[in-house]
Amino acid sequence: MLMLKLAFRNILRNRRRTILTILSMFGGYVLMSVQLSVTEGSYDQMLEFYTKDTTGHVQITTPGFVERPTLYKSVPVSEDIMSALSEQPDVQAVTARIESSALAYGDTKSFPVEVKGVHPGREADLSYLADKVSEGDYLTGDPDSDGYYEAMIGAQAARQLNLGIGDELVLISQGADGSLANDLYRISAILGQPEDAEARWVVLPLAAAQAFYVMPGEAHRLIVLGRNHHQARTLETQLQNWVDNRWPESDYRATAWQDVAKDFYRTMQADKEGGQVTLYILVFLVCIGVLNTVLMSVMERTGEFGVLKAIGTSPSRLFWLIVLETLVLAFSACVIGVLAAWPINAWFTAVGIEMAEPMEISGIVFSHYKGQLSWYVFAYPAVVILLAAVIIALMPGLRAARIVPVDAMRTL
Amino acid sequence: MNPVIETRQASRHYGEGDTLVKALDEVSLQIQPGEFTAIVGPSGSGKSTLLQLVGGLDIPSEGSIHLSGKAISQMSGRELSDFRRDHIGFIFQAYNLIPVLTAAENCEYIMLLQGIAEKERRERVRAMLERVGLGGKENRRPNQLSGGQQQRVAVARAMVSQPDIILADEPTANLDSQTGADLLDMMHELNRKEGMTFVFSTHDPMIMERATRLVHLRDGRIEQEEHRA
Ligand SMILES: Nc1ncnc2c1ncn2[C@@H]1O[C@H](COP(=O)(O)OP(=O)(O)OP(=O)(O)O)[C@@H](O)[C@H]1O
Ligand SMILES: [Mg+2]
Repeated sequence: MLMLKLAFRNILRNRRRTILTILSMFGGYVLMSVQLSVTEGSYDQMLEFYTKDTTGHVQITTPGFVERPTLYKSVPVSEDIMSALSEQPDVQAVTARIESSALAYGDTKSFPVEVKGVHPGREADLSYLADKVSEGDYLTGDPDSDGYYEAMIGAQAARQLNLGIGDELVLISQGADGSLANDLYRISAILGQPEDAEARWVVLPLAAAQAFYVMPGEAHRLIVLGRNHHQARTLETQLQNWVDNRWPESDYRATAWQDVAKDFYRTMQADKEGGQVTLYILVFLVCIGVLNTVLMSVMERTGEFGVLKAIGTSPSRLFWLIVLETLVLAFSACVIGVLAAWPINAWFTAVGIEMAEPMEISGIVFSHYKGQLSWYVFAYPAVVILLAAVIIALMPGLRAARIVPVDAMRTL
Repeated sequence: MNPVIETRQASRHYGEGDTLVKALDEVSLQIQPGEFTAIVGPSGSGKSTLLQLVGGLDIPSEGSIHLSGKAISQMSGRELSDFRRDHIGFIFQAYNLIPVLTAAENCEYIMLLQGIAEKERRERVRAMLERVGLGGKENRRPNQLSGGQQQRVAVARAMVSQPDIILADEPTANLDSQTGADLLDMMHELNRKEGMTFVFSTHDPMIMERATRLVHLRDGRIEQEEHRA
């Protein structure tokens, strides 16, 4: 209490300097919090999009499939299985996919394509596939009067094969039983643009893909969407239990998106951490400024510290006095920092700023840098500022603690 | 009796080579409990330097200082500051009050460090400030007090924690003779009634009159000592 009182009085002594010091720490806090909010918010938006678009939050596959996909490793799928899965807590959407490759024939040319077998209704609910249709109509899933299933084709494949809406498409591949697979489909839609990831896709209704690859009642992946991508790990554990109960004899795996898209996840993390470097440079600059003022205030009071020490203040108490003074400044800066950063971060979260050039990923346009309003974006900068304050106070604090009283008092 | 404080051939040199100043030169001095000692001598003879060494505020260039029998060179910073807190009261030539604390808080400070209960602290501070004639000025900061008033706060601060020994560097130099005499009477009384030990550096004849022991310094050496009954 005594030290706190002294600290407060000392701080109030040179108000101009106190205000300047608090302001620089405050500025550091706000910049850090807002940058963090925008970084987190933007990555969040991107990851949520990515997981919805590609991996889902958790997948159920045969072991090893996510590392090394192959036609022959499949899991059972049925309406019953998918609705049972949908009813699990926190599960928002479920679908099943078949993934393999084939050679596609148009009029005269052939072109290698990636084949995706999807459940038209469930896929549309879960991913952005339906939004990628740039021409024509999304799959209905039923064969037409001639018994042909519909197919959607990537823009590049369509161009190479010289195919358009309503044209016939022939696929040739190998079935899971080793037989030669070939079938005829009618093109219902063109997907995306030639430079997009889906440019070489051919998307078939699940039933058509099952028939084509001779894998009735099977799929390669069961895709599950939870509440958000942050909770994938919890969902993973939960679904693994469900899988183990449902198929006690099998060794099917629930895998969170972080492991499904390992490389992507690592790149994103590294990218994000790289972005923090500017933050630390900022903190460093603020620290230098603050260190300067704290040192100055300690030097000015050398004589006084000499007196305090002469009348029995222990070196460690003097040290803590300096640390306390700096912490009080840092704490005040954080408090007003939160008050200032809150509305800014809230605005970023709700509105965001428009990017100079909108980013388009697989037909979905990101036009705004978004913020995130979480305890993290407020707590993290506070911890950094308070920690920095302690570090800043170390040197001046030790200096004050080591003072020889007579030498110090001579400066009075 | 064991001395409270003892210097053994203590020297304090400033500078080096041609500019070497022997502010103190092999001074051996024992302060016994209950003494009322005055260190006298011309300006620059080393009085302040001696008091600083005796109080453990400075380190001798040669020789040693013993507080309650223990050499200060063997004390940690913490032990030394605790010793000063609990056993020594200082009155400095330049008052040296803490500018951000009020008169009462300046007095209370050491007792706070000692962990004395609030009620007792308040009572002792009030009584002591009353005694030095500063009743009613408890809540003034040093810069709102005259030099003489500040010196009285400094005296109160040194005495209120009831140390074993008070080291006072020319405590009356900045006071009018009446105030000086009053303060001196008070210290003399504490010495006689409660056995508090005092060591002064002074030019003031009033102090010399009352002293039980006079130590004459010249050029950093003890020139002569007188004991009086
Ligand atoms: N920091 C210092 N550097 C150099 N010389 C010093 C220092 N402090 C004191 N001295 C010298 O040491 C000698 C003794 O000084 P000291 O202050 O002890 O004298 P004093 O007897 O207290 O004098 P006064 O009666 O004027 O207060 C003087 O010659 C002084 O110039
Ligand atoms: Mg002197």
